[in-house]
Amino acid sequence: MPKNNTVISIRNVTKIYGHGDSSVTALNGVNLDIKRGETLAIVGKSGSGKSTLAHILATLDQPTSGEVVIDGKNSAKLPRRVVNRLRNRTFGFVFQQFYMNSRDTVLNNVMLPMVIAGVKPSTRRKRAMEALKTVELADKVKSKANDLSGGQKQRVCIARAIVNNPAVIFADEPTGNLDSATGDVIQKLLFDLNRTKGITLVIVTHDMELAAKCDRQIHIKDGQIIDESQDATDSVKSAKGDRK
Amino acid sequence: MKLYDMIRMGNSNLWRNKSRTFLTILAIFIGAFTIMMTTGINTGVNNYIDRQVAAVGSEDYLQVMPAQMAEQFESLMSGSNEVREYKPEDNSTTSQILTDEDITKIESVDGIDSAKFYTMVTTDYVANGQDGATKYQMNASVMPTASMKLDLAAGSDLDMDNDEAQIVLPDKYVKPLGFASNEDAVGKTIKIGATSQVTQQTDEAEVKIVGVQNASVVGMGSAWMNDKAGQLIEDITMAGLPQEYRNQANAIVAQLDKDHISEEAASKVKEQLEDMGYSSMTLTDTVSMIKSFFDAITTVLTIFGAISLLAAAIGIINTLYMSVQERTREIGLMKAMGLSRAKIFGMFSLEAIALGFWGGIIGLAVAFIARAIVNPLASRTFLASLPGFTLIEFNPLYLLIIVLIVMAIAFLAGTLPARRAANKDPIESLRYE
Ligand SMILES: Nc1ncnc2c1ncn2[C@@H]1O[C@H](COP(=O)(O)OP(=O)(O)OP(=O)(O)O)[C@@H](O)[C@H]1O
Ligand SMILES: [Mg+2]
Repeated sequence: MPKNNTVISIRNVTKIYGHGDSSVTALNGVNLDIKRGETLAIVGKSGSGKSTLAHILATLDQPTSGEVVIDGKNSAKLPRRVVNRLRNRTFGFVFQQFYMNSRDTVLNNVMLPMVIAGVKPSTRRKRAMEALKTVELADKVKSKANDLSGGQKQRVCIARAIVNNPAVIFADEPTGNLDSATGDVIQKLLFDLNRTKGITLVIVTHDMELAAKCDRQIHIKDGQIIDESQDATDSVKSAKGDRK
Repeated sequence: MKLYDMIRMGNSNLWRNKSRTFLTILAIFIGAFTIMMTTGINTGVNNYIDRQVAAVGSEDYLQVMPAQMAEQFESLMSGSNEVREYKPEDNSTTSQILTDEDITKIESVDGIDSAKFYTMVTTDYVANGQDGATKYQMNASVMPTASMKLDLAAGSDLDMDNDEAQIVLPDKYVKPLGFASNEDAVGKTIKIGATSQVTQQTDEAEVKIVGVQNASVVGMGSAWMNDKAGQLIEDITMAGLPQEYRNQANAIVAQLDKDHISEEAASKVKEQLEDMGYSSMTLTDTVSMIKSFFDAITTVLTIFGAISLLAAAIGIINTLYMSVQERTREIGLMKAMGLSRAKIFGMFSLEAIALGFWGGIIGLAVAFIARAIVNPLASRTFLASLPGFTLIEFNPLYLLIIVLIVMAIAFLAGTLPARRAANKDPIESLRYE
């Protein structure tokens, strides 16, 4: 596989929280390559280290040892400015707990990444509206984020994650707080983004059904990848066909 | 993130907790307002004194005293406990009295044109020329120099060398003395009463009104006389004393040469006089003494203002620490989305600066309102006798500097919470409940 096809690759990554007796090894010598355009599910029991892994992949957290290589560059050696730009433009985040400025309007929440990027106000509006149309919430722009339902909140978060046209979206239990019908809407949205815009998806989940819809699943146990299953190319295609 | 967005967000965040922000701004406002008002009053007083001095205008004379007397004044004022050995030259009578000899000596100094005794007379009353007219208390002084300009409402300046006894009357005496108007008083003759120091006998001298003067702080409402009028009064107050007493005084007025009327030249003359054992003061020296008295008062008030600003700064630190705590998740989210440490620091600093700005601006607005209310009130009441004295005067530059200083203090106070916000870890912050 050509190197430029790997967006993020981590080598021998270990993450230890705390010191001495009370230290917790959340990740233990993990190696992983994420390919451009793929959909990857990270599954495992609670406390196994899934979120920790996702955070390290997304440069939100730094490993205790090991390397995180993004687009061929060691992220630890990149200037902070470049890493910030990466998180702002190249990555998008969707969290289980939504994390929004609940007192702010939907529009302002969606525009936040563009405010951080320094996009000029007129463009911000236009792109936020487009993103909200994608998640079918154009009629809620003026609403307070707090007044939305759980599913609507998560759709706003997805709109926020895509406004800067990211290459990778990290979703940590995106459907974990939603009922199954609403969860399906969110899943469909994410996979549509992968299909239409080629956005790489990294989804942390304990929902095996959702995991099965991804191109690849990695199983984590006690901070180690114990099993990596990859659907045959044919079955991926058919699975993707099924999801339409 | 653009600066515009940082200012916008910083300012809108402020109003999330309105009462807390309001109280913090109130504290800043009190400090800013106090300092603005004190500098306003200071400017008002100084401007008034300057205007009065400019009106009086004579920078061309020195008041000369024996150095020893000035020294004794000083040690009396500073409450010195020192006991000094007596030497014959310390003789307190001879060393404090100036005589014709001193006049000759002082006149010989390079830069001094002429010198004369400074006549200090005490008058008791003034009365209209008619017999049996009502007497009014009045203090009249001999004008030290011909170049002194008085703020005249009518008539003309005193002719110091004239053989006719002349007086310039404060305008408040015009009506009591029975004149129809200021103009009417000019040219009339009035009587000045004085009492002998020896015989205790009261006598009157006739003087002619040449001018009527607007009330002013210089002279404190006293009337001004020319030398001739001064001599007439002295004749009364010194009646019964031997003639020798007439040719001595405690102070001499030395007129500077026309080409020595700069501060530099005056200080050279003062140095020479000092070497000769005299101490001397120009009008500027006297004025700066008055000013430094007011400056001392305003300094104390400004310190009070500064203390309340310090308390306000602690309020800012507290408010922003709470704000950082409350917005931990929001900070985490923005950091996760790639907002740099510097920008987060900047956002909270701008919030602190905004607090300082609003405190300063409200202080400014209320200071202007206070000026609009206090000034007319003051000139109607306790400053009624000093027309032209505006109690509070604002120098826009000073006010601007005060607002900027308040903003700078707010910024410095804000750096502590802003640093805490900037150093937050994105994941830990997102987890924060
Ligand atoms: N900030 C932290 N300090 C100390 N220990 C931590 C911290 N974050 C995570 N851990 C520990 O690291 C381990 C892995 O945590 P992680 O959040 O990655 O689990 P997870 O697989 O995402 O679990 P879940 O499915 O419940 O979200 C756990 O044992 C957790 O207690
Ligand atoms: Mg987790």
